[in-house]
Amino acid sequence: MITVSNAVRVYKRGKTEVRALSLESLVVPTGQFLSVMGASGSGKSTLLNLLGALDVPTSGTITIEGREISRLPDDELSAFRRDRLGFIFQFFNLLPTLTAVENVILPALLSGKSRSDMEPKAHALLEQVGLKGRDTHRPDELSGGEMQRVAVARALLTEPALLLADEPTGNLDSKTGAEVLKLIRDATRARNLTVVMVTHDPKAAEVGDRIVRLADGKVVGDELTRSAAA
Amino acid sequence: MLQLLRLVSLRHLSLSPLRTVLTIMGVAVGVATLIGIAAINRAVMGAFRSTIDTIAGKADLSISAGQAGFPEDVLEKVSKLPGVQHAAGSITVVAPVKGTPGERLYVMGVDLLDDGFFRNYEGADRDVGHMSDDLEFLNSTDRMLVSERFAASHGLKAGGTFQLVTPTGTQDFIVHGLLKETGPIKAFGGLVGVMYIGSAQVAFTRERMLDRIDVGVDPKVGTDAVKEALQAALGVQYEVARPDRRGQSTETMVRSFQLGLNLGSSVALLVGVFLVYNTVAIGVVQRRREIGVLRALGATKRRIRALFALEAVVLGALGSLLGIPLGTLLAKGTVSAVSDSISSIYVQVNATSVTFTPFEMIVGVALGIGGSLFAALRPAFVASQVQPVEALRKDMASGAANVSSFATIVGALLIAGVWPATRIPAPIENFPVGGYLAMFFILMGTTLLSPLVLRVLQRVYQRPGELALGVPGRLAADNFARAPARTAVPVSALAIGVAMTVCIAGFVGSFQKSSEKWIDQSVPADLFVTSSSKVAGVQNVPLKPEFGDPIEQMPEVAAVDRLRIYQHDLLGLRIFIVSLNPDIYNLHGKPEVREGRLPTHEMRQQGYVTISENLSRRRNLHPESTFEMDTPTGRRSYKVSGVITDYTSDQGTVFMDRKIFVAQFNDDRVDNFEIYLKDPKTTEQVRDRINAQWKDEYDLFVLSNQELRQEAYALVDNAFSVTYAMEFLAVILALLGVINTLLAAVLDRTREIGLLRAVGAARKHIVRLFAGEAALIGLTGGVIGSLSGYVLGYIVTKVVGVEATGWDFAYIFPLKLAVQMLLAATACAIIAGLYPARRASRLDVVEALAYE
Repeated sequence: MITVSNAVRVYKRGKTEVRALSLESLVVPTGQFLSVMGASGSGKSTLLNLLGALDVPTSGTITIEGREISRLPDDELSAFRRDRLGFIFQFFNLLPTLTAVENVILPALLSGKSRSDMEPKAHALLEQVGLKGRDTHRPDELSGGEMQRVAVARALLTEPALLLADEPTGNLDSKTGAEVLKLIRDATRARNLTVVMVTHDPKAAEVGDRIVRLADGKVVGDELTRSAAA
Repeated sequence: MLQLLRLVSLRHLSLSPLRTVLTIMGVAVGVATLIGIAAINRAVMGAFRSTIDTIAGKADLSISAGQAGFPEDVLEKVSKLPGVQHAAGSITVVAPVKGTPGERLYVMGVDLLDDGFFRNYEGADRDVGHMSDDLEFLNSTDRMLVSERFAASHGLKAGGTFQLVTPTGTQDFIVHGLLKETGPIKAFGGLVGVMYIGSAQVAFTRERMLDRIDVGVDPKVGTDAVKEALQAALGVQYEVARPDRRGQSTETMVRSFQLGLNLGSSVALLVGVFLVYNTVAIGVVQRRREIGVLRALGATKRRIRALFALEAVVLGALGSLLGIPLGTLLAKGTVSAVSDSISSIYVQVNATSVTFTPFEMIVGVALGIGGSLFAALRPAFVASQVQPVEALRKDMASGAANVSSFATIVGALLIAGVWPATRIPAPIENFPVGGYLAMFFILMGTTLLSPLVLRVLQRVYQRPGELALGVPGRLAADNFARAPARTAVPVSALAIGVAMTVCIAGFVGSFQKSSEKWIDQSVPADLFVTSSSKVAGVQNVPLKPEFGDPIEQMPEVAAVDRLRIYQHDLLGLRIFIVSLNPDIYNLHGKPEVREGRLPTHEMRQQGYVTISENLSRRRNLHPESTFEMDTPTGRRSYKVSGVITDYTSDQGTVFMDRKIFVAQFNDDRVDNFEIYLKDPKTTEQVRDRINAQWKDEYDLFVLSNQELRQEAYALVDNAFSVTYAMEFLAVILALLGVINTLLAAVLDRTREIGLLRAVGAARKHIVRLFAGEAALIGLTGGVIGSLSGYVLGYIVTKVVGVEATGWDFAYIFPLKLAVQMLLAATACAIIAGLYPARRASRLDVVEALAYE
């Protein structure tokens, strides 16, 4: 479960202060697939950064799985990201010099696990995301959809509690995008994984269980999707 | 961690092979220079030491009394002293080999019967044991046992003849037998000859004189007791010392020369380390996003730091390993040059082979790796500060390193510390710590301040850039300071190379200018006659004074002054005593008197002497100061009358009346016959006549005043040639850095290049853009280098040089060379920039635009 209360994030731009996010309360139960929507500058990326322990709030608290992450020192934040979180980015962010399977096991290597231990699992994950036989390809030999699948596999490798996705379909055509979304939904549902996805695309948002709309850093809408309501 | 290193870093290194190879080469050359010079220094000192040690053999004590030696009846006195078990006298002569210029044979005159007690001679073709009663060997003055090495190099066999230059001219010697290269025959690089002492004394006109007595001590009495007894019996003019104590003043003397070489080699390593910094810093900038991803995936700051540090360690390790064979080559190639330099200035050594100790290799590798690690500290820290959020940014931040105010403050503090540093007194002689520290402050200070300087220069460059190259020129000026902290690296590396070159040239040039003035005023003779070496001092063979008699009789000759230039220990320095005839000299020479006055005839009789400026400074001697000097006729007291400018020796010089010198030092030989002509127009005529009559017989060199001057210059130039070469190398290394930086800039700006091409820039414009930037890097490096070179040269001349030599001469900035270096740095930087420039111009426009 994720609990956000009174979280405020203020950025300083020169002498002016920009209040990027000001969230009174947001609770995401375990296993829920939450889509966050909003225009540019609405605060959705800020929210994602805070949930992803990539940034800390100026004030307020964020609790994930009972752990208050808003005041953790940098090392513990890193460890938390490594062990408890999975990321999927709009631009895939695969390391160009690594093969698909190497990209997938990278987080495990960062946790100090041995490569040979993790490789079978990585191969299995790549097979699950539909990339059987592409394990040794480098990013420049993969299509956008394939790269995003590698990213999904990478995010799942460490068996995280929370998966964060930042416009995962933003750089994909609609058909590929839909496939990737379905993959994310199916994979997380099977693992009872909480997902927070930021997106522009109303169709993509509908894939989840719940949609939160942000504007000017505040929640302006919170509803269950049709599929969840049904 | 290692997995991560292999997976992430090493792959990056292998994907930009050119940059990686350039960096590794940089470290390799730095390490090679460092261990090469260390090995050369050790080889030269080792050759000197081993000659002393192998010659000393099993002797417990050895007795000597300066260059002139002492009467052989001292041996009898020594043998009779209680506690002396055994004593053997000998002479040693380093004789030029006729027909092979520069080659010298180390001739030992010994009594084989006595000498066998201390040293083992092993015959190659016959038993040496009975040589002591081989009458043919004992009775002829031209029979010599020579080392196999010498025999082989001249194709000699027993019975063969060869020629050596002696004080009485060239003489034939007969090979009596060959000696294996063991024991004392290993001395002087194995170029050794052994004669019966009586024969050697005659052949080299050292009749009834000895250079050394080796003493075996009765263990029951003890070495210390015998040493004391000998000293008391012989007097202070004799040096009674354990063999391992001998030659120490020589080692001190050579130290400053070697320190200079070490300094030069550390500059090469410093520039190599800069390259590592350059490469790692570029890697951090280019891989910002990747670092962001790693951070987002949970890599800690420490882990990122460690990753980049390890990367530098890998580069450093590879470079260091490559540096060892390279250093071996370098050392083998230059050892003889260094050995020759030391031989012509200080003491005759014959170092031809270099070996590397494991210690040196370990130190070399450790410095290479440690230096690389040190270089990576800052970029690694910068990398660890990359925020994970950056991985999510849609516009990839270029993350251009900016001018850091911390670096600027530290740089300013270092520059402010230069002057105080020069005031630090030297803790030991010949080791001016303060001066070196000040030089380090200047190099580091300018390096840290250079990003700021780049910022300022960007504005300066814009207009001229545009005028010279059009829009690309303007853009080049902008790009030049776009990432000042990064561009500052090749600029600083180049600046260090240029600065050191300008600095050494400034010192050498100032010295040459002063010595030119000195020769003009103080060395007025028209012709200089020496045997076996162009310049009198260390390497020439002193001749009998009578050699000058027939020259004196020539109608064109007004006078011949007979100079002895005698190396002698005084107050811990190995000075020169120059003895001449003041009645002749004072008619022509006008030495620059700095303090006091030149002594009159009466004063000279009372023990007044003139000393050189550097001896005055080094030992705080001024007019009316007194000092004591051990002579072969006992310890004597001298008084300073005047202090004059003199550049004969960096250790110091004492000038004496020849008559007094001969009486006090028992030595009437002559190193330099200085000829004054009635009419200078007859110079060539007289020279031709002297050459025709004696050149061959005495292996003569007859130099005109102008030629002597050139020889003096050449001597100085040679002494600094290896240092020059190292600074040149440093400049080359720095140019590798220019290539590195521009290659990275091409990658960074791929998209921008595409854009420029899309809006109509032609390939040549792109080439101009990058070549222009390279030119600005070169020009700036040259300017900063010349300016800091100016200050460095001043410090070397006025602080380091004064401490190491005692000479304080006017500093003249080598403006011409500085301008040349500036132009060369710019030109070379353009050449270095052409490859990256061409690469940029060939990018496909569409691909470049889509480049992410």
